[in-house]
Parts: sequence; C-alpha cells; structure tokens
Amino acid sequence: MKGAPKNEELEQLLAAEFGVTEFPADAPPLVDRTRHLELATKLKALGYRLYVTVVATHYLPQAASKAGPEQPEHFEVATALRKPTQGGALAAWRCKLAVGEGIPSLVGLFAGADWQEREQFDLVGVRFDDHPDLRRLMMPDDWEGHPLRKDYAIDTACTPWR
Amino acid sequence: MAVKEDDRAFTHPLYDFMARMPGLDVATTSVDKLLTWGASNALWIFPMATSCCGIEFMAAAASRVDLDRMGTIVRGTPRQSDVMVVAGTITVKMAPRVKKLWDQMPEPKWCLAMGSCAISGDFYRDIYSVVPGIDTFLPVDVYVPGCPPNPEELMHGLLRLQEKIRAFRAGKPRGAAERPPTPEHMRRPSLPRLDDPTRPDELSLLQTQSAGSLGHGTEMNLIELRRSKAGEALAAKLAALRAPAEPAEKKE
Amino acid sequence: MTVELSVDPPPEKPAKKPAAKAGPAWLVPGAVAPIQRADPYLDIETYDPEADLMVLNLGPQHPSTHGVFRVKLYLDGEIIVKAVPFAGYLHRGVEKLCEKLAFTQITPIVDKNDYVSPMMNEQAINLAFEALLGAEVPRRARYLRTLVAELQRIGSHLLWLGTFALDLGGALGGGSTVFLHCFRERELILDLFEALTGCRFHYNTHTVGGNRHDIPEGWASLVKQALTVIESRLPEYEELMTHNGIFVKRTRGVGVVDGELCLELGITGPMARAAGVDYDMRRDAPYHAYDEVEVRVQTETAGDCQARTLVRIREISESIRIVRALIDGVPEGPICGHKPIKIVLQERSAGGQAYAALESPRGELGTWVIGGGVNKGTSPYRLKIRPPSLHAAACLPYVLPGHSVSDAIVILGSVDPIMGEVDR
Repeated sequence: MKGAPKNEELEQLLAAEFGVTEFPADAPPLVDRTRHLELATKLKALGYRLYVTVVATHYLPQAASKAGPEQPEHFEVATALRKPTQGGALAAWRCKLAVGEGIPSLVGLFAGADWQEREQFDLVGVRFDDHPDLRRLMMPDDWEGHPLRKDYAIDTACTPWR
Repeated sequence: MAVKEDDRAFTHPLYDFMARMPGLDVATTSVDKLLTWGASNALWIFPMATSCCGIEFMAAAASRVDLDRMGTIVRGTPRQSDVMVVAGTITVKMAPRVKKLWDQMPEPKWCLAMGSCAISGDFYRDIYSVVPGIDTFLPVDVYVPGCPPNPEELMHGLLRLQEKIRAFRAGKPRGAAERPPTPEHMRRPSLPRLDDPTRPDELSLLQTQSAGSLGHGTEMNLIELRRSKAGEALAAKLAALRAPAEPAEKKE
Repeated sequence: MTVELSVDPPPEKPAKKPAAKAGPAWLVPGAVAPIQRADPYLDIETYDPEADLMVLNLGPQHPSTHGVFRVKLYLDGEIIVKAVPFAGYLHRGVEKLCEKLAFTQITPIVDKNDYVSPMMNEQAINLAFEALLGAEVPRRARYLRTLVAELQRIGSHLLWLGTFALDLGGALGGGSTVFLHCFRERELILDLFEALTGCRFHYNTHTVGGNRHDIPEGWASLVKQALTVIESRLPEYEELMTHNGIFVKRTRGVGVVDGELCLELGITGPMARAAGVDYDMRRDAPYHAYDEVEVRVQTETAGDCQARTLVRIREISESIRIVRALIDGVPEGPICGHKPIKIVLQERSAGGQAYAALESPRGELGTWVIGGGVNKGTSPYRLKIRPPSLHAAACLPYVLPGHSVSDAIVILGSVDPIMGEVDR
C-alpha cells in the first residue's frame, strides 16, 4: 500500500488472528470476506475510529499472461480506517468477491459507511449485506446498470435527456 | 393578453387600438421606450447555479464586478425573475428540475448559458450522466463561454442580453443566438439541439412530460415513462441518430 | 419579546470544572458529550399514526442549499422529525472519465470537484500519483504547495463565511453585508493566484512531481500586503460571531455534533475540531512542508454552529501565520521533479495501489488510485476520491431532527457541503 507508512499493528493483528501471510508493498493485504466485519470491529476497539473510505473495483476476466495468472471476473473491495492521533495511522485491507457474492456492511460500526457503501453499490454493483437502506445514491433511482464497471460504456445514453 | 404571430412579447387590444389612432404614435413610442428601458435595465436574475460557475456568479454579484449596478436583483424563485442564468453542469438527474423551473418563469423570459458546461457539457459531454448543453432543452439567448468565465465576461454577457432585449422590443425577431456550428468531428452528443431541424418532436414532448410529472413519486413516474411505448420508440430513434457508436449493453 | 442586540461572549472556561473523567486521547477535555442521535432509518409509517406530518423538499434548487442538494424533511409543524438527504444531482462521472485519461490530464478534471478550493483537489490527486509512481517532489515545490494550500484555505473559509451569512440573513436581510466583505477579501487571494498561475479559478498548476508555475518577482510582497489587509479585518468577523445577539442566538446550541459521531461518520476538519476532536493532518500526519512549520490546531468544545464558525475564523488567522512564516524562506531549486510536460503520456504504472490524503478546508480529502489502466498503464485503473463533504452531508439525518426548518438552513450552511465533491 503506497502513500501511507507501513502499519505494523495491522500486520501483526492480521498475521496472528486472521492467517494473512502476504503483505505486498504496493497493495493492501487481502483478507477473507467472511471475516471483514470481525476485522473492522477489532480495529475499532484498537483505536481506529475514523472511517475513511471503501473502494470497490471491478475486474474483467483475464486470461493467463505474464501480468498474472488467469482470473475470473471478480470484484475487490478495499476498506480504510484511520486512527485520529499522532501519526494518523491508516489501516487498509482488501476483500475479494466473486460475482454475486456480497460483503458484510460496516454500518453498525461506522455511520459513515452508509453513504460510501451506497455509492459503491450504485456505481459498481457490489452488494453490502445487512445494509439498512441499500439504494442508489448518485444515479437516478430507475437507472439500469452500474456505471463504473469495466463493461459499461462511458457514453451510455439515457432518454429523454441524453 | 394575446400573443400574436409576429412574436412580440407584449400586445394588448387597447394598445393596438391606440397605436392606430392618428397622432398617438409619438405617445406610444415614448411609452414603448420607457417600457424597453425598464425591461432591459431591471433584469431580475434567477441563478440556476449548480457548480463552479455558481461561485464565479457570486463573485460577479459581489463588489468588484457589481451586477447590481445594472439593476439586477438575484431572486431565489423563478416566479419573480426575468433571466435564468444557468451556471454549471446540468446532469440527467437535475435536468427535469431545470426544465420545470424554466416553465415556472413567467413570460417574457430569457436564458443565459454561463460556462462551457452549460453551453456544451464541457469535457463531461460524453458522460452517461451529463446533459450535453442546456440548449438541448432550453432556448438559450446568450452564451457566455469560459471555465469559469471571468466575472467581467458574465457582465459582458448580460450587457449583450440587454442589447438583445432592446432589439427584440423594437421588433426584431428573437432568433437563436449566433454561435459557430459544431464541427463534424465533435458532433458527438446524442441529443440534437433545440433549434436543430433533425430533432424529433417527440423528444421535446417527452422532456416536458417528464419534467411536468415531477412530484412526490417522481422516480416512479420516470420509470413508467421510459418503459412506455413512446420512450422505447424514442430510444430507438436516438440510437439511430447517434453517429457510428453502437448502443451499449446495459447489464445489471 | 425583546431581542438583545449585543451579548457577552461565552465564558472561556466553565466556571466549575466537572468531575474529572479521562476522555479519550483524541478528544479535547471539556468537549461536548455524545448527543442523543436521531434514528436515520426511522420508519415514518409507525412513528406516530396520529401525527400529521408534512413532507417538505428542501432542494435540489434552493437559494440556500450549497449547490444542488436535496433534503426531504418530514415536519411535525415546524419541527423536523426525519430528514433524508439525496445527492447525485451533480454526478459527472469524474472517476469513470479519469480511467481513460493520462495522469497529467487528470489534474484539471478534479479541479472541479471541490470547486471552492481547487488547489486542494489538485494537490490531493498529485500526492496520490506521486506515491503510486514513486516520484520525488523537490523542496521548493513542497514549500510552494504549502503556501498555495494555506492561501486557498483562507479563500475557502472566507467564501464559506460569506455564504453562511447569506443563509442566516438572506440576501435582502442583512446577510449580504458580510457576504460582500468576505468576497472583497477573497478577491485579494484570487489576485494572488492570478499573479502566480494566470487563472482566478481552476488553476491546473500542480503536476506529478511538483508544480508548473514558479513564484514570480514581487509575489512575496504582494502576499504580505494582502495578508495584512485580511488580518486587519478578521477581528470584525470574530466579534460578529461572539457579540452580535442575533447571530449568537441563531447559532449557539444549534446543530450539536459530538466528536464520537464525527469520527464514526468520517467527518474531519473544522466540523470535527469544533466538537473537540484534536486531529489535524497538517500536524499529525504532515505532508508538503508542514513538518517544517508549527501548526496550531484550533479546537472548540461546543460542537454547535457557533463553534464551527469560530474554528474556521481562527483557522484563517492560523493560515495567515503559516504563510508569513514560510513566504520568505522558500528554498531555491527546481519546482518539478521531472522534465516539463511535453509528452502527456510519460508516466506509466504497472499496478499497485496508493492512498494519499491531505487536510482540505472541509476535512480529509483523499485519493485512492489503482494503477495499471488502459494505454499500457498511462491511465489509472480505478480512481476513487474520498470527499470530506460526503461524510459531512451524511450527518444530517442524525442532527436535523428536533430542529426547526430555519435551523436546518443554518446547520446545512455550517456543515459546508460542496456538491461538486459529494457527487463528483
């Protein structure tokens, strides 16, 4: 994960309790999606009280190449929390989702997750389970499709205004 | 008050009767001049300020470039204003509301497109959620280019609008504003402009209907509208109008 | 009913200190206690079957909403029972657009997000790109970025103050006095930026690895003159906030948000600092040249609209102090880490993710960028901007219930959402 200093506390927690072994230097560590809520609860208890963001990305299916092994179509949801103290330590991690899978919502812990998760649902189409009010935020309510997916053309028109 | 074919803003049977009386030409001309002076120098502005141009509009209304010295007052309601200054990007979600507000303005009304987002959609032109220029659904009188335009440019635009008002009241027809035609290779937006002869009439009807049906259950009305036969036929027509790009698949 | 036209300022410290209860480290002692949070998902059908609730749409076009923002208010008389905000009226698909643009081309696009302080957007995006691409920023550029950021903060807070006064008094009700004064000061700042970059607005002066425009001759003395003028007028504003009876009555105790709720919602910046949260990225996680200058974080304890106003005004004077400390000591050297942009597609990234954030006038403005996009990695694969105003606007369902409609306007103004960055 570039741009933020290495977070030893997070790495120790992940290695000890979540069985994560890989900590790449240029991406946040990968955590199993079923333990996403548990990790967030533990981090909040450790002092990471500031909700930063959640980023959902859509990856198209990729054939095996020198860039990486073969990948089916999947989503990645990265979440970030911060400690509002000296140093402003950032805890960030990723969860991988297959098409149709959902990820638990953090609304019970962080009220700010509400709108961020709604926005990711709206634009990328990732479902957040147990979200109390998961509906579109940016696009009109009757919009079809999720614009930030890689197979969505940027100039998709909508009648009658475009 | 009847609005006559020759597109004048103001007619009245008594006015016409008096105008035909001999010797009253001088009196009515003076009255007309007074009314023109009032109409052009007391423009009450309704700012439809959505984004950055709204900030420059506020700066133009502030002390350095003072719009107030031209007799303008910024009104928050369309029902009491003459000019609608559309400042900022208009998105697909916002456009029906802008059209509805325009319809709520009483005649005679004028529209000023401020900033390139309102003129053509700027670099957001091709994006799924942006309307490529407000002249696709509003009759624009003055275009003020810039991103954002300097407050002095906006002042210049308002002065040109005043000239246009005076010319219109003197009898000149109120035509489309002069602007250079869009070059062929930039003719990307799928929506033809309001004065484009190739524009289908159903489009304006559909836009007015969807704007007018805004109410408590707005979103549901639009769903029904789009799923109606008119919406489908129009979608097919517009897809055919669009240049070589093939229609995108919408998948959930 | 009598209205006092002048009140004494609120006491600096409480007369009797309550029993010492050690608060958390990130909260200033004496900060406002956690408020009774309204339920944002309140089922209005079962709320009170006998109450005759009126639905009032505040927006999306309203003279007072800052941009196109819609809040659906359920009213019991004049009191708000439930508030449901709607966003997306300015969604311009910036993140999707940036997926097909080169890194250099993205700067003027994100300029338009937080359109009141464009320099911040540019800096946030370029910090993230520099982290992703591993670009070095020379020292002179870092100083210049700090100066420009602080001047932009002054301009942004002045604009906020002017529009806040409009919200309180209305254009024809006395609010325009403060509005005109603040915009007069803001024009001085915009003149400085015009001297530096050539534009009043949307500068496109930052790039990956540094800045594009260098400090012209005589700019330092222009800056100092402008700051002297602004500083001489600041006491007027602070006195307005603390002594003017009408202003105080309308803002004290209105829209209280406690520190815990702020952090859970993700709110940072002046709104959180007014609630006692002692966190400022310039001091705690320094970037640019903030580690070479002392940043005194302004906090208040009340968490209401008056506290937010006071924090912002004091931040203006703090920014003036920072600029004065740095303006004469800008080191010599290049202002950009790589050669000037003649080729747009010169930065490539194979992959990797980066997140960089800075302290904008509204809070933590961050950018999450995933590299390895189209055109052999010259575009980002995914760009996500973390806007502080999104979280600030999301606080409304928790705070508005219980207030009247006129208070709602005041609270919306003091929360300071900029819809360009909420919707992007």
